[in-house]
Amino acid sequence: MNRKYELVYLVSPDASDEQVADLHTQIDDIVQRLGGQIDKTDNWGRRRLAYEIGRHKEATYVLENINGSGEVLKEIDRRLKVSDLVIRHLVVRVDENQEVIERTQAKRSDASRRRRTARGLPPDRQPGEGQRGDQDDDRDDRFDMSEDRR
Amino acid sequence: MNGRKTFGGGGASGGRGRAGQTAQGKDGQQRRPMFRRRKICKFCADKIDDINYKDARLLMPFVPERAKILPRRISGTCARHQRKLRVAIMRARVLALIPYTAE
Repeated sequence: MNRKYELVYLVSPDASDEQVADLHTQIDDIVQRLGGQIDKTDNWGRRRLAYEIGRHKEATYVLENINGSGEVLKEIDRRLKVSDLVIRHLVVRVDENQEVIERTQAKRSDASRRRRTARGLPPDRQPGEGQRGDQDDDRDDRFDMSEDRR
Repeated sequence: MNGRKTFGGGGASGGRGRAGQTAQGKDGQQRRPMFRRRKICKFCADKIDDINYKDARLLMPFVPERAKILPRRISGTCARHQRKLRVAIMRARVLALIPYTAE
């Protein structure tokens, strides 16, 4: 049973680019061996950490979208825990959540189309139609973080 | 259950109080005729379905100075989105995208 996972790991800033690339190939190997695949890799580059981990103040972030069974991730998790280079990692299963998001989006666009046809409009919004953009709403009364002090 | 839950302006006066009482409390103190602005869930309003832990920019406003998660009663976030927000913030903290505490 293949599932979709997201793996983010933080590589120590002391590591060279080759070492980061090497880490990726190692993970790729594990995934291949256990019958999964990596859908996408995204290197966010070096970022400041919000707090110190060990003695590190920054780290290289790498995100991998992995399609595979739980066994794959179990093995990767084990390996990353042992690795000295990786100072932190997180595995999240995303397929279920993605489904929910798609469903709500479909529901929303569906509802809006129904409303529009009920009003005798074409089901999709025409260019240049509707209210002003979201940005220039001066009557906006949603929370904007500047007023949370009691 | 005698109302700490007054949301409209005025009568937060102690006890049950008669219905016709004015906003002036028993102690003569002026009860705030304060204007409460309507709160709206940011995620409902902006139609953000995916509260993603990788998006620190989205989460930052909900963890002010002390880096505690901002309660619903202040931010106005709806229950469903607050739950998702909480999970996202906790994950972002693991990845050091968001602090656990202020230094």
